[in-house]
Amino acid sequence: MSDTVGPAMAVVMKDLRLAWRDRAGWASAGAFATIAVLVYSFAFDLATGDIRPLLPGVLWTTFLFAGIFAGGQSFARESEEGTFDALLLSPVSPTMVYLGKAAANIIAMLVIEFLQLGLATILFDTNLVSLELLVIVFLGTVGSVSLTTLLSTMSASMRGRAMLLPVMALPLLVPLLIGAVRATGAALNVEVGAAPWTLLLAVAALWSAALSVLLFPIAVER
Amino acid sequence: MSALTSTLQRLYGFWWIVLPPIVGSAVMAMIIGSIVVAPREIIEGDVQRLLYIHFPSILAAYGAFGVVFLASLVVLWKRDLRWDAVARGAATVGVLFTGLTLATGALWGKPIWGVYWTWDARLTSTLVLFLIYAAYLLARSMADELDEQAARFAAVFAVLGALDIPLVMFSVTWWRTLHPQPIVMRGLERPALPPEMLLVLMIAFLGIGALALWLGILRTEAEWLAKRTATLRAKIDRHEGA
Repeated sequence: MSDTVGPAMAVVMKDLRLAWRDRAGWASAGAFATIAVLVYSFAFDLATGDIRPLLPGVLWTTFLFAGIFAGGQSFARESEEGTFDALLLSPVSPTMVYLGKAAANIIAMLVIEFLQLGLATILFDTNLVSLELLVIVFLGTVGSVSLTTLLSTMSASMRGRAMLLPVMALPLLVPLLIGAVRATGAALNVEVGAAPWTLLLAVAALWSAALSVLLFPIAVER
Repeated sequence: MSALTSTLQRLYGFWWIVLPPIVGSAVMAMIIGSIVVAPREIIEGDVQRLLYIHFPSILAAYGAFGVVFLASLVVLWKRDLRWDAVARGAATVGVLFTGLTLATGALWGKPIWGVYWTWDARLTSTLVLFLIYAAYLLARSMADELDEQAARFAAVFAVLGALDIPLVMFSVTWWRTLHPQPIVMRGLERPALPPEMLLVLMIAFLGIGALALWLGILRTEAEWLAKRTATLRAKIDRHEGA
């Protein structure tokens, strides 16, 4: 068991250690998310009296953009330093490399998101720290970050990748966004209809995680 | 060269002679038919005539995206860049006709629904389709013609996009729906259109379908020629360098 999971854990630990040593990348993603939540709160407060129904949309657009921003950065460094080629040359299956990278990105992203939930709890005067919401955030993060990790590997070698990544990722994430926003709305007692949104979110998350795991080895094959 | 390949090549050369006149006459027939022959719809009026472009366009786009999906699978499987040219050609046609569907739909929507755009299930999923394949074209055009790795990435993205479509449709249908219900393809029931309208629509299917095929072939050939030019240029550079 440890033989198969070991390499993935090594990649996770490597990425998390790097993220910790060079905090600028993830800190800027966190700062971006914070600024986004603040600006949304401020701008919507100018436009409308009741901003609480907008909260699920605010949170998820922020999470998606911050995730794409951070995911793109994490691979840009790998391709600059050439460590990604080294990882692929090592006698480890590409699936394990992918799982390691995705897990590290998910963990870092979850930290940022929980901080934002705390901030939004204060700004929007709504309790956002509940078990239901944590499950929803976890599912949405697994789904979106697993896909952006795959796409950022692919776009890392292309010109203009910073712009390309959101253009590629966001249309694919529309089902996940619908599920996540509606499920969050349901958890906050915003009117969203009766469909099982958390189920839709789970299916979308499973879809992107499973396809990314399957397609990563095919994408990086030389 | 196998017999099948040579037959296919002969057939392909034949298309160059057959397709342009078919495209020209079918598209002319479609325009005349939809403006002159088809009766004026009682409730919606003349704006209903957009249906003759709208509906065949989206079917042509679906066909083109199907080709992108299959050609991308072949790129991943055989590593043959010719199929990358096919996928790019088909994606261009698909994006063009999805755009045409969205544009004609918006023109129809303003007088009938009162708005150009609404976040209805079918409109949303068609827009997402448009965005996915526009992103595909953008991503592919940002890398070198001959970059096999970039071709693989684009193919992986096209496969992801194709597999995303059912999920998109399902999720937006749960979300909301306002689009008119199907009136032509209703399974075994008879279509709800009068015979003249149905005839014009059939001609429009032929016209738009042939046009899509023709544009797809032209675009694919252009992509392939660009690849060959790039190969030759690389060879000349190497020769001069040596």
